[in-house]
Amino acid sequence: MLIIECPYCGRRDQSEFSNGGEAHVKRPDGSSEISDREWSEYVFVRSNTKGIFYERWVHSHGCRKWFNCVRDTSTDEILKTYRIDDTRPKLKDFKNLVDTPSGEPELGSGNFTVKK
Amino acid sequence: MKELKTNSSPFVNFNQKISFLFDGKKIFGFKGDTIASALLRNNINLVGRSFKYHRPRGIYTCGIEEPNALVQIISEYSEPNTRATIKKIYEGMEVESQNRWPSLDNDIGSINSLFSPLFSAGFYYKTFMGPHKSFWKKIYEPIIRRAAGLGKPPKEFKALSSHLHHNVDIVIVGAGLNGLLAAKSLINTNHDILLVDFDNHLGGIINNSAKILSIDNQSPKEWVKSTVEAIEKSKNIKILKNTLVTTYNYINHLIAVEDKHVGSRPSENKVNNILHKMRTNHVILCNGHIERFLSFQNNDLPGIMLASSFEKYICRYGTLPSKEPVIFSNNSNSNSLIYSIINQGYKPKAYIDSRSGENIEPELFDLIRKHDIPLYTNSQIKGVSGRKRIEKILIEDSTGGLSEIHSDFLCVSGGINPDVHLFTQSKGLLDWDEKDLTYKPSKPFQPTITLGSASGQFNLEKVSDEINEKLKIFKNKVLDTQIVLNTKESYQIEKLWEISPHKSSMWSKSFIDLQNDVTTKDIRQAISEGFDRIEHLKRYTTNSMGTDQGKISSINALGIVSDLLDKKVNEVGTTIYRPPYAPLSFAAIAGRNSYEFYDPERKSPIHQWHKDNGAIFEDVGQWKRPWYFPLNSSESMHDAVQRESKNVREFAGVLDGSTLGKIEIKGKDALSFMNLIYTNSFSKMKPGSARYALMLGEDGMVKDDGIISKISEEHFIATTTTGGAATVLGCMEEYAQTEWPNLNVYMNSITEQFATFNISGPKTREIMNKVFPEIDFSNDAFPFMTFQFHNYQGMQIRILRASFTGEMGYEIYIPSKNAAKIWDQLHSFGKDFGLIPYGTETMHLLRAEKGYIIIGQDTDGSITPIDLGLNWTIGKTKQDFLGKRSLTRTDTIRTDRKQLVGITPSNKEDHLTEGQHIILNQIIKTPTPMLGHITSSYQSPTLGHSFGLAVIKDGHSLIGTKAFASTPDQKTIPIEIVKPVFYDEENKRLVS
Ligand SMILES: [Zn+2]
Repeated sequence: MLIIECPYCGRRDQSEFSNGGEAHVKRPDGSSEISDREWSEYVFVRSNTKGIFYERWVHSHGCRKWFNCVRDTSTDEILKTYRIDDTRPKLKDFKNLVDTPSGEPELGSGNFTVKK
Repeated sequence: MKELKTNSSPFVNFNQKISFLFDGKKIFGFKGDTIASALLRNNINLVGRSFKYHRPRGIYTCGIEEPNALVQIISEYSEPNTRATIKKIYEGMEVESQNRWPSLDNDIGSINSLFSPLFSAGFYYKTFMGPHKSFWKKIYEPIIRRAAGLGKPPKEFKALSSHLHHNVDIVIVGAGLNGLLAAKSLINTNHDILLVDFDNHLGGIINNSAKILSIDNQSPKEWVKSTVEAIEKSKNIKILKNTLVTTYNYINHLIAVEDKHVGSRPSENKVNNILHKMRTNHVILCNGHIERFLSFQNNDLPGIMLASSFEKYICRYGTLPSKEPVIFSNNSNSNSLIYSIINQGYKPKAYIDSRSGENIEPELFDLIRKHDIPLYTNSQIKGVSGRKRIEKILIEDSTGGLSEIHSDFLCVSGGINPDVHLFTQSKGLLDWDEKDLTYKPSKPFQPTITLGSASGQFNLEKVSDEINEKLKIFKNKVLDTQIVLNTKESYQIEKLWEISPHKSSMWSKSFIDLQNDVTTKDIRQAISEGFDRIEHLKRYTTNSMGTDQGKISSINALGIVSDLLDKKVNEVGTTIYRPPYAPLSFAAIAGRNSYEFYDPERKSPIHQWHKDNGAIFEDVGQWKRPWYFPLNSSESMHDAVQRESKNVREFAGVLDGSTLGKIEIKGKDALSFMNLIYTNSFSKMKPGSARYALMLGEDGMVKDDGIISKISEEHFIATTTTGGAATVLGCMEEYAQTEWPNLNVYMNSITEQFATFNISGPKTREIMNKVFPEIDFSNDAFPFMTFQFHNYQGMQIRILRASFTGEMGYEIYIPSKNAAKIWDQLHSFGKDFGLIPYGTETMHLLRAEKGYIIIGQDTDGSITPIDLGLNWTIGKTKQDFLGKRSLTRTDTIRTDRKQLVGITPSNKEDHLTEGQHIILNQIIKTPTPMLGHITSSYQSPTLGHSFGLAVIKDGHSLIGTKAFASTPDQKTIPIEIVKPVFYDEENKRLVS
């Protein structure tokens, strides 16, 4: 459950938004000659990052604007949101502010208390 | 009537007597009583039967941790599994005990006890395995379903609940000593604060025990009163009483349920529950601790209660459950109970402590000696016995000698645990404290602060120091609170988890989980069978998997396992406590989203006309659409559809197409945009003309279709499928913003602004001439796939010459508020020409005869325009459109893709059914290769036989050949594969 800052409307509840998958994936221009592989990479392949991830959101129950977002997928923390035409923030601008809760412990799954 | 047990308590109104029904029997209590405290006042202790063995069970605790005293509240829509220890009574309340038959006193299921080997650890897994599958279904399941379980699910409930959202800086969970102090130190600071407590009286341990003598030279209760008043007066702190925080999610998101009808019957017309959704920057957990029990033989018998709960009944509810209970403890937390009992003018029958004399506080010794209480140090309870409550207690003293005491009440304390449920829900890490023998919060994962016993700081004299230190970040007021304790104690405990029995018997058991009937023997068995990891062991034995999540016992299980495995408790680990902290009603979760508000119904502007004319409706997305219009109650759907279809082909019919999505697209670059979104090219289209168009996904598969009307190069109106309207608009907006932001284009939904009536049939033109006499409907003036704007009685309407039935027809677009007028006009003028209204089923039949597809019925997200034979919709010269490049991928240009064809049965009397598989063999020998399946099929009144559309492999080149449709009973129907057009292939009628 997140609070997301729409770059146009401000901080709003996650329930007002829809996720649109990875951001900064360039759609190949239809006029150019590209191979099946290149095209299918665009259509079907997305990265599945653990950690800092650039992704798209749309304020679907609000201003209906698309925008970009930097989220730490291991903690769900939203580090930055920015307009679609803003320059992409650099990875080194962010560091994990909280430790990831995953990192499986030796005993039992999700057994946090024994995590070293 | 016997005298009710009372003593003073400011929280119960002894002047207001209240009666309620328990298992049909009238019971009296007082305003402020819980079900449990009222029952104890009446000396009733047997309140339920246990989950598996149907053993008699009593009231074990005085709070939300209760494992046994779960009851069904008949007078509240039969709400099951309600904790009798927290539910407040009101006049006329109806309560029933659970899991017993025919009655609580004489329960047939208790025979399960004798079959207990059947119910041992891993029982469910083992029975699933054999001896034969039917064994489970026919024998075990019916028996278990009847015998095992908790309450009965309610048959109906009214969701009189609502949701409330909060955005604050700090949430303080728990308004006991620490919560009140923390709030006090933050009064009128710059933080927005919620102080949340489950009780209707704030104060926690101050109200529940005799531990604290004075606070800042005030009596504890006066101090609570003045502190709460100061908090209530503050500008920045809001108090929520009767509110239980059940869930602590990511990013400091808390969920809490507020009971709005504590101590009164639920209202019929007001909200009874509020689900609070809190978002906060910081959480301060002051939710205290939970006492744990001890495992010994028959430790489940009614008459056994946790020591601190017994004290809470005295102090909080003003009832003394027993005048001379025996007390058994391994720690100092139960000391104050002895004070509390003595304060009432009685004394414990015996005090048994597993600690040796030198470890017991000297003060306690003095008190016990002064009051001449029989004392057993370095001693243990080996077990208890009795029928429906305890009668005898067997004690083993320091020398190993055994002695027996007769008593009907036993208070037990096995130590205290910080209530870490919320902290672990927040993903905070715990650490085992070897001295206090419990898990304590160590590293928070979120901005979480724990205070007091919730943080494992059990010394009440140090609370203000801890608050001053931990709340510094909020620039709080520094506290200097002077707390004087009744019992000078710093928490001291000796390790004790389980006492082995003196003699074993079939009936006698040592329980480790009272709610799920798990015994310490089950734990041993699980470990010996190899389930020695704590998470495995939990699931195999079902230990701590009840609705109480083993609040009073799960740490004991870890202790027992660590001893058995000879490992440190920290190495054994703990299972995860999951939300919710305690069960919450589905009504609270549903809030207002129930019944008619669950999913909105969308209705056409002339919905009432359909209702008045006997339409049978079908749900299309959220829309209610007329399915068919039966002439009378005896006309079947089949007959109605056959009649409607024939009528349209012979005369005319009109369909309410208002639910179709309508999107208006405007802007300097509207043309370029439309060319990119749809497969078709709109460049050469004349303004005033329209075109059938397809929309693809980037994968090249058909996503939606519709008719695009070109008003000008800068203005288009697109129709979409009824179900696809929102998706299509969303897709347009997405691409306009993300891929082609340079295009000047805007789009908006106008679905609800305009009603659409689709009139078609050979008599259509004559009807239209009557309704709109000033318009020229001749072929030359109004050709197929053109549209015109007209002024009709002061409003602008748009008429489009198009058809989805194959007959000549028009679509009329009218502003919704005037729609009924035109609909009535059509019928009054059309009557003489045989015009009828028809529904979606007839529309489907007619369009299938014509070979028109329905998106989502004849397509399924894996069909390209080429597969449909709709190559003509693709603008070949366009450089780009959605999914264009995918149409030349190696996979999409395969010739053996599933393609749309028509099918007819070779024997005209055979019936085809949607979903039937198309195969090549007449005799089915499995496995039989499947060519495809029938996507649409109808009985055609025009053709006089059944026909269908199908998608089959390499279908286009199979046209003209024969195949078979398989039926569920392994038979086959011979069919012919034909072109997917059954009616007017030359479109003569369409353009007539
Ligand atoms: Zn917005």
